[in-house]
Amino acid sequence: MSEVSTGAGTPPEGWEAPRERWLSTVVSPAFGPRSVLLEVAVRLLVPSVLVFSVFLLVSGHDRPGGGFAGGLVASMAFVLRYIAGGRHELAAGMPLKPNTLLALGLLLSGVTAGLPLFGGGELLEVFKAKADLPVFGEVTFASYLVFESGVFLIVVGLVLSVVAALGARMEAEEEEARAGRRRRRARNKGGAQ
Amino acid sequence: MTTLLAVPFLVPVLGAAAALLLRSYRRGQQAVSVVTLLLVVLAAAELVRSTADGTVLTSQAGGWEAPIGITVVADPLTALLLLVSSVVLLVVLLYAIGQDTAGLSRATPAVFHPIYLVLTAGVCLSFLAGDLFNLFVGFEIMLTASYALITQAPTRARVRASMIYTVVSLTSSILFLTGIALVYGATGTVNMADIALRLDTAPEPLRMVLALMFLVVFGIKAAIVPMHFWLPDSYPVALTRISAIFAALLTKVAVYAVIRTQTLLFARDDTSAVIMWLAIATMVVGILGALVQDDVNRIMSFALVSHIGFMLFGLALGSAAGLAGVIVYLVHHIVVQASLFLVNGLIRQYVGHTSLRALRGLTAISPMLALLFFLPAMSLAGLPPMSGFVAKVALFQAGAEAGGWLAWTGVAAGVATSLLTLMAIFRVWVRAFWGVPLPDVVEAGERLRGRRSGGALLMAGATGAMVALGLVLAALSGPLTDLAFTAARDLLGGGAYLQAVLGGAS
Repeated sequence: MSEVSTGAGTPPEGWEAPRERWLSTVVSPAFGPRSVLLEVAVRLLVPSVLVFSVFLLVSGHDRPGGGFAGGLVASMAFVLRYIAGGRHELAAGMPLKPNTLLALGLLLSGVTAGLPLFGGGELLEVFKAKADLPVFGEVTFASYLVFESGVFLIVVGLVLSVVAALGARMEAEEEEARAGRRRRRARNKGGAQ
Repeated sequence: MTTLLAVPFLVPVLGAAAALLLRSYRRGQQAVSVVTLLLVVLAAAELVRSTADGTVLTSQAGGWEAPIGITVVADPLTALLLLVSSVVLLVVLLYAIGQDTAGLSRATPAVFHPIYLVLTAGVCLSFLAGDLFNLFVGFEIMLTASYALITQAPTRARVRASMIYTVVSLTSSILFLTGIALVYGATGTVNMADIALRLDTAPEPLRMVLALMFLVVFGIKAAIVPMHFWLPDSYPVALTRISAIFAALLTKVAVYAVIRTQTLLFARDDTSAVIMWLAIATMVVGILGALVQDDVNRIMSFALVSHIGFMLFGLALGSAAGLAGVIVYLVHHIVVQASLFLVNGLIRQYVGHTSLRALRGLTAISPMLALLFFLPAMSLAGLPPMSGFVAKVALFQAGAEAGGWLAWTGVAAGVATSLLTLMAIFRVWVRAFWGVPLPDVVEAGERLRGRRSGGALLMAGATGAMVALGLVLAALSGPLTDLAFTAARDLLGGGAYLQAVLGGAS
């Protein structure tokens, strides 16, 4: 495995650093070096993982899947980016804060659950609409897709806030501690001279 | 009706989402929380009004009929507990807002408000759940929120306490889930009304095992002796607002679950002797614990354990009078326990700690504080004319009516516990409130005078409102007892509940 950013020893003669950027950030994470292999794998996997999560969400109403499973798969895409590129990569991939995602998901699910009450229906009652679309053929839309999308957002928000609390924040603390050690070492060296 | 039944858990969830979005606007967050809880209070009041004659309201989520779909049920007991809980939640929220406004708290409001509303949703859903699994979900929502709340403003002691709390709660949750699986295996349904019908034909030993299993599950959460050890270790160290809500509501939700399962699901099984012995043990062990403690918060926590025993005592009697006594006691105890913890919070705020060793002469620096402590404390001990007196008399009367040596033993234990409670309270009174103030207490009093702000006034006002609520309960004890009797008859008859939930299907 080629480790680019360790700086231990010089690369062999005639070796050229890769010019291709696989991820959107280049800052190396606090824990361990970046791995090109992982970066390439993540670059290739993330889009398909996200598409698969949407497939699970949409197909969930009468087959295995649903908002919860879809949300877990989608959050794995973000976790992969985090593992490959650290917290800056995670921040680049997700513009919203985990808490905002959680709140939006709760609102979406809660409103869909409560909306039928205003029309004189029951809590969580489902509305369906059928349509004939040119490419897809007959498509059924049911209001629980909206509810499940809320669940999807909640799960993604939850996993991301766990990653933020147990990964990204610890990483930031580690970086800070490392910078502190470096400063102290520099000071000590200055004192000795 | 359906809308009314959905408000107590749906509105707090939406409120939590809004509070989470507004996390950088403190005022907006506070407004959202207050409005949400006001809505819940109004809905609960309307529920009490429409169930006061013993009607049972139901709502079938998604339009699926009872044994298949999720049922939300409100009978008089549920409605009454919803009303009291939501009022207490609102008052404690005002206390918390006062504390945050005064800048006296290290809690993170951005996290506190959403989680507090989620806790509200969990408590309300537990009361309203019509099937066992939904009851479990309600409990989990409530407990998950409480895991986060107990470590607000984390210190070493709080993290340690939350470890105990979380591990014990999770253990009981696992048992709960196992119990639901066993019930489903035996009856093929999780709808409580349906289970009640189908358990009729189940073999007796099986019913007994299930009944005892649920007693253990809710016994852990309600802190029934010998499953109480976690409570005095975890509640007192949390922030005041949080220990007040935990002490007032969390154990009571578990007591409600004990009442619901033992009267509805296992009504024909004789667990009453077991419950009576547990009640006696809980009363006596709890109050003996309170007598040897040195910290006001810990004394109140042990008293809390002890007074859970009174509620079990009424349940064990199994008569309408006994259950009515339990319901009055539940209402009284929710309010009184919340008041006492809020007053302890004020003491902690003024002096910096609640240890009896270093408190003396609080009356001299704040007579109002002494009054705020005195009233609910007398109510807790059951002195007339407080609400505690009404509740205890109702229970003892029911015990005397039931007769038999076991019931009389229970009454004797109850009377002894009341006297010992009085003793524990006088210990606090004499050591903390009477006497010549210690130098640092005097100093705290002087600091206090120089630091009057709107927030501090709101804190004291909320505490005063809670204490006043206890007095109102005493004044309203007539209508309250009537309502409790209606609720108790509904619980024991069971017919109205089954009819309302299953409708034509039964």
